[in-house]
Amino acid sequence: MDRALFPEGVERCSFGKFALWMGFITAFFLFGLFAMLLIFYKGIVVTGLDNYFGFGLWITFDLAVIALGAGAFFTGFLKYILRIKQLENIINLTVIVGFICYSGAMLVLTMDIGQPIRAWFGYWHPNVHSMLTEVIFCITCYCLVLIIEYVPLILEQKQLNKIPFLHHLAHNMHVNMALFAGIGAFLSTFHQGSLGGMYGVLIGRPYAFREGFFIWPWTFFLFVLSAVGCGPIFTVLVCTFMEKLTGRKLVDFKTKALMGKIAGTMLTVYIFFKILDTWAWANNYLPSVGMTFDQMFYGVIYGKWLMFTEIILCGLVPAIMLITPSIRNNPTMLYTAGILDCIGVTLNRYLFTVQAIAIPVLPFDSWQTYAPNWAEWATSGMIVAYGFLVMSLSYRYLPVFPQERMLNK
Amino acid sequence: MKAKEFNIKWGMVIDLDKCTGCGACMTACQVENNIAPMVDASNKLRTLSWMLVYELSNKKAAPDAEIAYLPRPCMQCGNPACVPVCPVVATDKNEEGGIVSQIYPRCIGCRYCMAACPYHARYFNWEDPVFPKGMEKALSPNTSARPRGVVEKCNFCHTRLMKAKDKARQEGGNPEALADGAYMPACVEVCPTGAITFGDLKNPEHKVHELAKNENAFRLLEKLGLAPQVYYMSKREWVRKLGDNYAATGKAGAAKKHS
Amino acid sequence: MGLDRRGFVKFVVGGVAGTLFTPVIWQGLDDASIWSQNWGWIPRVPKGEVKTKSALSKLCPSGCAVKVKVIEGKPFAAVGNAANPMSKGGVCPICAGGAQLLYSPARVKSPMKKVGEGKFEAIKWEDAEALLVEKLTPLKGQEGKIAAISGDETGSANEVLSALLSGLGNAGGFAVMPGEMYTATRGVKLMGGNGQPGFDIEGADLVLMIGADALDSWGTSVANLKAFAASHPTGGAATAQYIYAGPTLNNTASVCDKWLAVPPTATATFSLALAHALIEAGAVSSAADFAEYKALAAKAAAGFEAATGLKAEALKELAAKIKAAKAPLVVAGASFGQGAGALDFVAAASLNVLLGRVGQKGGMTVLGAAPKAIASAADRENAKDAASLLAQVATGKAAPAALLIYEANPAYALPQAAEMAKAMGNIAFKVSFSTYMDETAALADLILPAPHPYERYDDAMNPYGVAKATYLAGKPVLKQPVLDVKDPVDVLLAAAGKLGLSLGFETYADVIKAKAKALGADFDALAAGGIWNGEPKGGALSLGAGALAKAAPAAADEKAVALAPVTRLAYGSATLATPPANLLNVRDTELKGKDLFVQLNAATAKKLGVAEGNKVKLSAGGAEVKALVHVNEGVAANTAAILLGFGRSAWDEFTKGKGDNVYKILTVSDEAGTGLKVWAGSTVTVAKV
Repeated sequence: MDRALFPEGVERCSFGKFALWMGFITAFFLFGLFAMLLIFYKGIVVTGLDNYFGFGLWITFDLAVIALGAGAFFTGFLKYILRIKQLENIINLTVIVGFICYSGAMLVLTMDIGQPIRAWFGYWHPNVHSMLTEVIFCITCYCLVLIIEYVPLILEQKQLNKIPFLHHLAHNMHVNMALFAGIGAFLSTFHQGSLGGMYGVLIGRPYAFREGFFIWPWTFFLFVLSAVGCGPIFTVLVCTFMEKLTGRKLVDFKTKALMGKIAGTMLTVYIFFKILDTWAWANNYLPSVGMTFDQMFYGVIYGKWLMFTEIILCGLVPAIMLITPSIRNNPTMLYTAGILDCIGVTLNRYLFTVQAIAIPVLPFDSWQTYAPNWAEWATSGMIVAYGFLVMSLSYRYLPVFPQERMLNK
Repeated sequence: MKAKEFNIKWGMVIDLDKCTGCGACMTACQVENNIAPMVDASNKLRTLSWMLVYELSNKKAAPDAEIAYLPRPCMQCGNPACVPVCPVVATDKNEEGGIVSQIYPRCIGCRYCMAACPYHARYFNWEDPVFPKGMEKALSPNTSARPRGVVEKCNFCHTRLMKAKDKARQEGGNPEALADGAYMPACVEVCPTGAITFGDLKNPEHKVHELAKNENAFRLLEKLGLAPQVYYMSKREWVRKLGDNYAATGKAGAAKKHS
Repeated sequence: MGLDRRGFVKFVVGGVAGTLFTPVIWQGLDDASIWSQNWGWIPRVPKGEVKTKSALSKLCPSGCAVKVKVIEGKPFAAVGNAANPMSKGGVCPICAGGAQLLYSPARVKSPMKKVGEGKFEAIKWEDAEALLVEKLTPLKGQEGKIAAISGDETGSANEVLSALLSGLGNAGGFAVMPGEMYTATRGVKLMGGNGQPGFDIEGADLVLMIGADALDSWGTSVANLKAFAASHPTGGAATAQYIYAGPTLNNTASVCDKWLAVPPTATATFSLALAHALIEAGAVSSAADFAEYKALAAKAAAGFEAATGLKAEALKELAAKIKAAKAPLVVAGASFGQGAGALDFVAAASLNVLLGRVGQKGGMTVLGAAPKAIASAADRENAKDAASLLAQVATGKAAPAALLIYEANPAYALPQAAEMAKAMGNIAFKVSFSTYMDETAALADLILPAPHPYERYDDAMNPYGVAKATYLAGKPVLKQPVLDVKDPVDVLLAAAGKLGLSLGFETYADVIKAKAKALGADFDALAAGGIWNGEPKGGALSLGAGALAKAAPAAADEKAVALAPVTRLAYGSATLATPPANLLNVRDTELKGKDLFVQLNAATAKKLGVAEGNKVKLSAGGAEVKALVHVNEGVAANTAAILLGFGRSAWDEFTKGKGDNVYKILTVSDEAGTGLKVWAGSTVTVAKV
């Protein structure tokens, strides 16, 4: 019944099936929405956060989705600035993934702050020395950029595009897209870095603190690199997941492998520096503040296995897999490496967020542990559900995949 | 990084050998700063305690066990970890005296400062202040009640500093050179053993000036380089050693690389 | 399409710009920042000039001389009174939050009459007072029909109560809640003296506290802390040594030069073994019973290691320190302020006699009896103890028909509390004069709300521990009480009048003024924060060997461990549940949620087969207390330490149902030779649940 709205020349499932799917996702969304309203009403006392863990699942979630959403700016940068033409096959998807990740992260942030009504104080009373100010500025600005990048895609919807004004608008926006891609790349690099900087400047948290270059601690650069090392491959994973779900080919494997190569290259650079950084931190910085490597870990919940999983299993291993053409060109291996890569970066964000503040710095203090409660999971789940909804609608009605017609002939 | 310097540096020297851990400072702090009583105060991960008395142990078996109590106000660091991270300038170290301020109407409650402070001196206001019926009539005039969702902390009873300065002006004195004892926070005022000495660390006429230089004086986590304005002292070596991390070197007084 | 691209852009840009010129956005943002700070439900703070008024804050057992800060006529904070030598500017953690307790949710708001099990009805004062007179009238002149329990150790209200009972023909009905003053005065008698003992901590250069938690919950703790502080100048060398011998590494022990872990069952053994070590080191006494004492000490020394788990070496070191000191003082007391027999006291106090420290500066003193305001009142030390009274009620040996309870909580704060509360059920008419809805008030037939210290006249004669006769008095800080309360003494005096008995006074204020006059003190100066002191006295005391010889050594029970109830002043007292503001002070290794922790050292825990976090029950005398195990090396061998003062069944949401009442498992026994009820040496069995 909604066939008239489909992109030109592609097949979609029946409306009933689609409605069922959307209903299923909406249930999750509504549950999260309930948790969110409860949080706005009662405050974040309903979460599992506490005096020791002011940051928890939400911040980890934010950092992770922002890193994973980095495919948008980096692919945009490569396509529009470095003119790698092949990437146009997947560029729309990166924009949508990026948009979902960033808008979702902003929503989580408004929940996460104790005074959501004052969320705009970040602009009104900015502290130029705070990495978080930079994050607030760049994330909101970049989210606007992503909207600008997303809008022409919406306007290209078959029926909307028939309206001459919208058609022209979309066209004009497309023409200037390189400009936005450039702005996006600039903004995104900075806030990815600033997110790392947020932790690197914590002089009171030996797990996170790093020295650095000029005003930027090393974590600034490591976060940028790790984001571009996982963002592109995350888009590939999303694409492949959609292909499995819909049973249709959406992007050719060559493009996916190229994205894998891009991510792999960046991940390799990243992991090289990450290992160097960790080595220097453990052998130089920690002793200088009287602490040892062993003191940074505790039991199973904050054990060393986490760091080894992050750096070796989910860092070094996927990096090697992705830069080795023979491995990368095997679809199963590519996706496996991609999954490991994304887990590694997410784990990195988790460790910097949670482990860093779980460590008792005062010698007479003790380890505290943190587990998110239902309200945090539900709201995080809401963002995922929101992403599924946006993606489902976009897939069904918008011309996201230029190759789809050709690949499914 | 260099610590911010002022001509006046309000600070404390807390003699841990005199602190019995009675808790009068914690009570007086709550009273002065209008902290609402908590029904379940045993969940220390959700309580508000601007002043918190820690219990330190020498970790020896009975009968050689020893304990000490350590009151922990805000350290008012010379190089605070919390100030530069605040995205909205809700906390600053910009006033003569070096007290790290906290502006509740400005704070958005992001808790980045809490993540930054290794002393756990900052507390998030999890719930709106609810006093048992009638008890709001016993509120102190010195600190406004804070809504939920903001971060709060000890400010050395800053209103008392303002009042002491006013008094000095009225009496023709110099508000920038208060006499020793003219200004003291609530915890200092009530402490039954006088374990907390308070004053201007830079003023030779104030007792803290000399005490801070005592051979037994130390600050918490000095190696991190936050340069607290709160000093502790103890004749017991094991207590002094608990003031900083020595696992890496095994001995007190490792190089201070980061100050 | 009427709207071309240019037109659309114009519309959007114009619309946004136009809105920015209206106040809508700016006003909205401004309002948002104001609202988010000033929601209607956020309480406003008062403005105005702060005044200070002197008060006697009898919220803690010894009473603090405080300066109350008042704004708009309302108290909001209390600090120590620097001009008063008992305070010297210090205040205890209870009295520091005194202003907030004015509005404690546990306060009784008006007179209440019981109308059913656990049900009360608010009544008018005139009806309440009429009911009191109506119930007492038929009992007048009948010996044994009226009894009274007072929980106040120092106030002249006791004289009124005692005189009232005598006047009504019930002179023997006056009982007091257990406290050190009571047993120690008995102990002094056993040593041939007469009066309340005092300890000149300030003047001593070595203070050995045996049991007595003198820097926290024992005696005049603020004055003691000030004495400690004076001898330990910050940044300077200490001029006195402080040593604590007791079951736990408590607040007092935390600042002492040495802690000797002595189980509560071995207090007397420790004292006598120390006497032996001192005698070995050359100490002699001219007291007539020295030879007998010496033999007793030698016997105790033989059993020292087994009884305490300490090495004999520790005693030798201690004896050497004491010998080297110029003015050593032994402070004797139960580790939780009650329940020790007179003999524990005698054993410790005899060390002062042995060392020749009685009546010396920095030594032990004996305070003579103070002049009374009401001649017909009995002497304090002649009162019954409440535990004995209720034990007699339980067995039918005593059968009062009316019980007046003044500032006391016998249903909660007596050993074997459950039995005591049950015994109270045998008394037909119980009147509780109480500021708070405590467990006893909840059992009473009539509750007559008493004022908070800031709302009343009150006094304190010789708070326990002072070295010389001391008198403090105070008048109300508030012009009007914040609730519909009346001073219990005023009520009792009025009732006496209606019962045809004149005690010579109409109000408590008059009684206190008369007391001051009898002492030769100026009431107005006292009410302004002053103090009256008499001269310290000595007196020849024996070593108490005769009494000590009768002491039966505790029967060792292999399965049981000694119970060390722990009091911390900040957490409240026998008459006050933990104040709301002080709950924060309670550690999460002491109370977590609704569970108390029992503290055991690792060796004891191992022996009992329990580990950190285990849920256990402590049982004794048919009652039990549930707790979680916390392994704590600050506990003596074979000893289970647990906080006293929790497990409230009345009061308020801040305390009700939290933890368990340890009084339940304190078991009373009769002390050989003195006939006193004792429970400081209670033992319990610990079992996992």
